[in-house]
Amino acid sequence: MVSKTEESQLRQLENQVENGGGGAWEYLSLVRKLKLRRSDKVLNHGLTLLNDPKKRSALGPDEWTLYEQVAIAALDCQCLDVAKDCIKVLQKKFPDSKRVGRLEAMLLEAKGSWAEAEKAYTSLLEDNALDQVISMRKVAMAKARGDILGAIDSLNKYLEIFMADHDAWRELAEIYLSLQMYKQAAFCYEELILAQPTIPLHHLAYAEVLYTIGGLENLQTAKKYYASTIELTGGKNTRALYGICLCTSAIAQLTKGKNNEDKEISRLAAASLEKDYKQISPDKVSLLGSALKIMKLQ
Amino acid sequence: MSNGGDCRYVIHQNAYIKLVLHALNHKTSAVNGVLLGRLSGEVVEITESVPLFHSSQIGLLPPLEIALITIEEYYSSQGLSIVGYFHANERFDDLELGSVARNIADHIHRYFPQSAVLLLDNRKLGALRNKKDAAPIMQLYTRDSSKSWKQVESTGTSRLTTKEPSANIVLLDFISSNKWSDIVDFDDHLDDISKDWLNSGLFK
Repeated sequence: MVSKTEESQLRQLENQVENGGGGAWEYLSLVRKLKLRRSDKVLNHGLTLLNDPKKRSALGPDEWTLYEQVAIAALDCQCLDVAKDCIKVLQKKFPDSKRVGRLEAMLLEAKGSWAEAEKAYTSLLEDNALDQVISMRKVAMAKARGDILGAIDSLNKYLEIFMADHDAWRELAEIYLSLQMYKQAAFCYEELILAQPTIPLHHLAYAEVLYTIGGLENLQTAKKYYASTIELTGGKNTRALYGICLCTSAIAQLTKGKNNEDKEISRLAAASLEKDYKQISPDKVSLLGSALKIMKLQ
Repeated sequence: MSNGGDCRYVIHQNAYIKLVLHALNHKTSAVNGVLLGRLSGEVVEITESVPLFHSSQIGLLPPLEIALITIEEYYSSQGLSIVGYFHANERFDDLELGSVARNIADHIHRYFPQSAVLLLDNRKLGALRNKKDAAPIMQLYTRDSSKSWKQVESTGTSRLTTKEPSANIVLLDFISSNKWSDIVDFDDHLDDISKDWLNSGLFK
């Protein structure tokens, strides 16, 4: 996950590079560090760097890292020839390398040669059963082939071994959401909250899933997690503020208005939303007002 | 007429293009949107669209409820109501209308029985440059008396057309100028309320 400072740093670098202001290597390194998917930009700027012999030699040993990064970006953009060229360069420099072997298998994946890619990954795993990236590739392949249940299965097995991989838990939660398996998604978010209790995004995601499942108890719990999100973000999370209002409205509907303790927090949330919109998005303030009115009446 | 069984659907260029550009802005995930318009006799005119969410947000109820309340409130003052739903799947070759899409569509159907579901056809999008077809690159689904969403086959006279015959040409133009990066969806708005989900400046 990317912090706000990292995000603005990235945007700044991205703008700079896109407008010819240099800093391509810094941008590419940041993308690599944050593990972001910016394949079209990486391909564009990475290739420019690689095709310039002076710039390339200035990179020193990082040159090979760049070849790998560009190869993966090229695969993502379906520029298979570019990817093949990069891989060839790496094969020459590092013959018999497992890391290059992984790239070759990814090329097979990109071509759609699923069976061959599967074979390649399996043989790579034989020598190194604990390779996280390769295990993840198998999940990704299942997903790409549309075998969602197979992806879930592989991902669950992966998490049995690498249970601290938070990105994997999030990925699993999102797959469950796409299949409307909300209880299972909730379980994933529970694991994430246990592992990283101060990350507001987990609290928020959990609240949203609980609300989606519905029922009085879940709505009440959702409200608590929207509240903890607001606390952890210093009141700056619009989704959580809206969430409080939605929960209050839904709870009131379910209990036919007999539950009166909730109203104060939703009044605060609504007021906070109004303040934010007045400051940042004034043309939508009256719309917000109508929406909040509808929620209170519902 | 109580269902979408015989309606024709005409989508205005701006509404149509906005939806496709939204999908292109988030190539690696599913996206969805709502269609707004009105019923004129046997034709549902889709005059506007609002891109909603991308990625896992699609399956969650709270953002959807906020979006629908807000959007309906805004457009009812213009005499428009929510007349349909747009969905684009995550994977290139996935042309199935999934359960999340169906559920959202069912909800919309309750308020507008002639509602339509439009599913992006990625293959047609990919072939657009070469084929110069005027037909919309989306599949049309309507809900018949069997209470399930069925695809309307595009044989003979198509029941889904763009109002302006050159819509695909304009779309191609926007694609080549990377216009899709300017699209704001409701998801973006919830992350940063300064972002305008109305996309009012998009086609100026």
